[in-house]
Amino acid sequence: MAFPIKIPKTLTRVCEIYNKYAKKQIPTELKLAGAKKPDLSGLDIPLPSKRSEYTCSLKKDGVLWLGATTGLTRYDPNAEREYDKIMYFSADRDLPDNHVKSLWADGDAVWALTETGASRITMVEYTAEELGDILRAETKKYVDRRGMVTQRHLTVPRVKESKVPYNHSDNDGCFTASYAMGEMCRFHVLKEKYGAEDERVLEARKSATRAVEAALLLMNISGRGNGFVARTYVTTAEPCPDDGLFYKKQGDKTYVVTTSDSIHKNMVGMVFDSPCPVPDRLAKLYRDEGFTDDDIIYKGDTSSDEITTHFVNIWMAHEILGPDDPELDELLIMSGTNTLNHIIDNGFVLRECHGKPTTWAKWNIDYFNTSFGWADACLNSAQILMYLRVMMYVTGQFEGKWNDTFNTLIAQGYDKLPLKHEERFHMSSMISMADSVEEMMFGDHMLATLALWPLILLETDAERKENFRKAFKSWNGTIRREHDPGYDIPFLAACPDAYVDSEMMIDWFRRTNASRLCSGCDIDSRKDIARRYRFGGYKETSALLPPDERFISKYDRNPYEWKTEEGGMTQIESCYVYTFAYWLGRYYGLIEE
Amino acid sequence: MSEFSKIHLIGNAHLDPVWLWRWQEGCGEVMQTFRSALDRLNEYDDFVFTCSSAAYYSWVKEIDPAMFEEIKERVQEGRWVPVNGWWVQPDCNIPSAESFARQALYSQLFYYENFGKICRTGYNVDSFGHNANLPQLLMNAGMPAYVMMRPGMHENAEIPESAFIWKHRDGSKVITYRIPNTYAPSGSHSLERERKVYEDAINETGHGVMFFYGVGNHGGGPTKSDMNWMIEHMEDDGWHEMEFSSPDDYFRDLLVEMVDLPMWEDELQHHASGCYSATSLVKQLNRNAENELYAAESFATVANFIADMNPSNEEFAKAWKEVCFNQFHDILCGCSIMEAYEDVRHTFGAAINTAMKKYNEAALRIAGKIDTWLDGVSDPVDTCVRHHSAPGFPRPVAVFNPLSFDVEVPVQTYHPSSKVKDCDGNEVVFSNVRSSRSNDSHLDTVFLAKVPAMGYATYWLDEFDGDEYAPDSDVNANGLCMENEYLKVAFSNETGCITSLIDKQNGYDYAANGELAVPTVIDDHKTDTWAHNVFKFHDIKGVMALESIELIEDEYARAVIRTVHTFGKSVLHQDFILGAKQKTLRVKCRAMWSEQFTMLKTSFKLAGEDGINTAEIPGSFIKRPTNGEEEPHQRWADLTVTVDGVRRGLSILNDSKYSYDCPDNDLRLTLLRNVIFADHYSPRPEADFRFCDEGLQSFEYGIYLHEGEAECSDVTKEAALFNIRPNCVPMGYHKGSLPQKQGFVRFNADNILMTALKLCEDGSGDIILRCHETKGKETHCAVFCDLVEAAFRTYFEPNEIKTFRIHKDGFADELNFLEGIVSND
Repeated sequence: MAFPIKIPKTLTRVCEIYNKYAKKQIPTELKLAGAKKPDLSGLDIPLPSKRSEYTCSLKKDGVLWLGATTGLTRYDPNAEREYDKIMYFSADRDLPDNHVKSLWADGDAVWALTETGASRITMVEYTAEELGDILRAETKKYVDRRGMVTQRHLTVPRVKESKVPYNHSDNDGCFTASYAMGEMCRFHVLKEKYGAEDERVLEARKSATRAVEAALLLMNISGRGNGFVARTYVTTAEPCPDDGLFYKKQGDKTYVVTTSDSIHKNMVGMVFDSPCPVPDRLAKLYRDEGFTDDDIIYKGDTSSDEITTHFVNIWMAHEILGPDDPELDELLIMSGTNTLNHIIDNGFVLRECHGKPTTWAKWNIDYFNTSFGWADACLNSAQILMYLRVMMYVTGQFEGKWNDTFNTLIAQGYDKLPLKHEERFHMSSMISMADSVEEMMFGDHMLATLALWPLILLETDAERKENFRKAFKSWNGTIRREHDPGYDIPFLAACPDAYVDSEMMIDWFRRTNASRLCSGCDIDSRKDIARRYRFGGYKETSALLPPDERFISKYDRNPYEWKTEEGGMTQIESCYVYTFAYWLGRYYGLIEE
Repeated sequence: MSEFSKIHLIGNAHLDPVWLWRWQEGCGEVMQTFRSALDRLNEYDDFVFTCSSAAYYSWVKEIDPAMFEEIKERVQEGRWVPVNGWWVQPDCNIPSAESFARQALYSQLFYYENFGKICRTGYNVDSFGHNANLPQLLMNAGMPAYVMMRPGMHENAEIPESAFIWKHRDGSKVITYRIPNTYAPSGSHSLERERKVYEDAINETGHGVMFFYGVGNHGGGPTKSDMNWMIEHMEDDGWHEMEFSSPDDYFRDLLVEMVDLPMWEDELQHHASGCYSATSLVKQLNRNAENELYAAESFATVANFIADMNPSNEEFAKAWKEVCFNQFHDILCGCSIMEAYEDVRHTFGAAINTAMKKYNEAALRIAGKIDTWLDGVSDPVDTCVRHHSAPGFPRPVAVFNPLSFDVEVPVQTYHPSSKVKDCDGNEVVFSNVRSSRSNDSHLDTVFLAKVPAMGYATYWLDEFDGDEYAPDSDVNANGLCMENEYLKVAFSNETGCITSLIDKQNGYDYAANGELAVPTVIDDHKTDTWAHNVFKFHDIKGVMALESIELIEDEYARAVIRTVHTFGKSVLHQDFILGAKQKTLRVKCRAMWSEQFTMLKTSFKLAGEDGINTAEIPGSFIKRPTNGEEEPHQRWADLTVTVDGVRRGLSILNDSKYSYDCPDNDLRLTLLRNVIFADHYSPRPEADFRFCDEGLQSFEYGIYLHEGEAECSDVTKEAALFNIRPNCVPMGYHKGSLPQKQGFVRFNADNILMTALKLCEDGSGDIILRCHETKGKETHCAVFCDLVEAAFRTYFEPNEIKTFRIHKDGFADELNFLEGIVSND
């Protein structure tokens, strides 16, 4: 199928779980429905459970529901899409447990009685956009933390209202900025459709702006005045995590908070200047909640992941929000300028207050010549070139320091390094002499996407642009099998001649869960997929399971990973994985409404 | 260049177990060389010895267990390094992908059982060319690194010198080292010369290199004087450091040198372009053995589950090891001495015989459980009963299809019939055709059988009674023209060649550019058996002259036109067979060949532009330029051209050939090559030499037409069917638990082909199912194995080979060739 694609309406599973303490809510008819082993002899299709494990069945509207001791199968022989013919429901996401004892139809719903409770399942039809709205609403209500959207823990499993009032993530900047990109695209698309003053558009703009501001706040919150970017921050009303270097602001000074890491690094009590105030527009995000600048505790040791996403965010925000919001545009340019200059002036590293580079934010030749940096160079070289291209573009400064720096890096071969990714990754992964997939950092797929997509679109030299495209295509060699639109859409935007499996893309959108609650899916009982053993023992699924039948993750995991349980239903992930891909697709005209 | 860049000294002894000697001498050569290597290890503390080929270790273990124990100790010390987890250093173009899987399976298990570890480096230093799918075949064998030498830089300078990353279409990559010059220098003069080569290489590439040394070919290994020279010069000023090492250690060091290696995504050819057609006997036996073993193992596995047949892993392993041994490059390439091929007949014959016996047992066991009982069939009769048939009752025949897709194909039984019905009572197309015997009715039955994938179907044959029969057949013949639903072919009564070959799906005539199937004799007196330094065979000596042409069969099930051509004292009989419902025109050939220093090709010159040559390689396919170089291939080669804006292709299938060329738009299958046995750069003194393709040659090729690119067509399936045909088994009348038609393994994608169905080597009773993608495209597919109620979904990269281990409970694991018995420890 050629692009743009149309995503047909999808039947999305909505499961209400009733455990043993909610017996009264379980219909008596279900308890009395009984079980008769179904005759499966005519079914010529791989079934998730062993045939002998099926205990009961229910036929409803031409769809066969099959209960088993290892989960519930929905078989729709008339489903238009192959992926939809068989759907598998399992604990903990869809069922209280996997032993289905009887089935009963109640109007639109199907009830499944299990050993320890029951599940009321409805198949609700949504458009892809509606599904995105549902996920966004969940994120806004349960995940958003002063505009940052990453994830949120729950105190009571499955009960979203029990969300912990605080949270933090090392990748708050990265994930918030990515969320912001999706929101900006949504705003742009809706504005084109409904006009700038439409209520929906105003809401979209507000949401996008808030997310961009939250990301920019992290670029400015340290007050160091040197472009240093924080990983995340908490307030004094929240517990300070003990997982790295944290800094407490106090007037125009900052001191190092006591944590295991600061003790280990002998930095406890270290005080340094932080004379630059946080821009009021950004500080508003925490001041509106009653916190002052002195209530801020932020985390350092920021990595290139965050920096990369921030610069892409700056590029998109300048493009989409900037024209109508000069104040924001100024903040974007100021933030990007400070950080880029910090990197250049510090020898292409992000430098911590103690004078050393952060662990994972290095873009210089010295790092590239280390055993770690040698393979990283192919990605990090593209990142730094992208930062420069973005800032030249958003400021219109195509001559001067940044251009000189760009040319210097080109002279050092930075534009050729991305082309060596496949070879270097293979070489470095083979040190274990196992299988390269086993050594793969799946989060690098998004980083490569975020670095190369703007770099290609902003590059003005035709030959260099083509080389960057080749580099992106070489990355796509390993990314492609994930069939993840979050990678494939930017890839197509940058490399329009490339092949992407549009059918798999459609299925990805259609089969995404209507909730990002991290509840597990059973996989060990599944008979309709094989376990793929890599040579070092790493285990994958032999086929790509639809998103609603595998673990919930960000853009940082192997979707083939053989993993049964994730999250214990005590965490909600943000929706950005879906909204980033969907709205970017709409923005680029690769997805039609 | 890093601090790790140094010259790794690889002490080795290249051992040809067969070449200018027979295997018995090769075996002795191994014993002596291994003893010598152990002595050197005892004498020189730092010396490391590298040696490939599980077959050699297996000989030593059997003949000299004490020496084998010494070797085990040295392996544990890391000073004796087994490399190449394959049975021998095989030719790397001719064996099928499944053969490569078995090379790995039996060898790596041997190493694992005896040394506690497997080989991590593939090592074929003398093999004459390396197919483009080897990276995948090596990775599946647990070997992420590879050492090769041929072709040398003088033969192909485009292939990266020294180390590079070699990649195939499926995404597999192996780090490969190309030996720059030789694997066997010995003596100070040679060593000094080679050291200079390696010194230059290390300076040029910026990374460490491997310096292979030690007397080779007929074994030997490093001599004391070699060792002394090495030790004396190890730390010479002005030279890079030299160190006793192994390929495993070399690659480990290379990986941390942080040097950018070039990537190569093609095959590694050519060195000995003549050896893929020399000595047709060994090629034919190889293909025959691969086909028979596939069919036998598949049905033996089925019979194990449904007909109480005992597992036969040991027998099959023994047979496969014979096949693997005969795939040694100097054997399979037809360049060993004539006497060696007597041994080849016996050993391949033993393997084939094992396969046929097992296939027969499996088929009879399964057939015995098919319900064929007819009421009244056991009533007493007072007449002469023959051919297993009761008077007045049709005779049941089970047709077994070992392929993983449904087939509809003419099959032959040894008796005439008056009527053939399928198990649902429908009459099927059949003919009574000339048999190969002279007594009795002289007639066999050919009928059109439809058989499910990896299954069987029962047909019912009535005895010949002379009744007229007029089924709805698509076969029609008239004069020198014959046609069916798919093809229409006409011949010249002057040349015996094809003058018209029409694809009836679109009406295009492939003979628009002139005659096809032209038997062309090539002058081949300028080269040796290998055809060293010769890569094209274009000196046409002449075209064979037509002696006779005749329509010899015009039946419902098939039509046959026979041509007889001569050239000098040589004769070529060709039966062009067009079967009902068949897309491939089969050509059954019988040649009595006498022309010395010749090559015989059948030529298909097409009209059109933008010709692309595509050919099957082990487990995959390759695109090649139409530059006329002689190329190795497997079961099909193809030329696709553009005619009036449409891509049209002609594929030549074969049952035993491995060589072809394609000068411009002329696709030419090499049918035989008659040169002197083991003629190695010789001046050819006056002598009564024997020629390697002299005498009777029997083989088949097929002609298949398609639109679009070759790989997008069904050519691989057609070639599989061309090689592995359904087998007819006459049955008696009995009650049974099995239905009259059943399939056991299938895929829901037509580009996935099964290449092995066997029982796991660990005795668990688990099923091993191997398959691969044939069209070079990503594929989502479901696999069904009804033997254990397994049905699961999977995903294939283009041309990916997958091995599934299916447990008795129906759960499946996807593993590599080593079946999950060996892990990476």
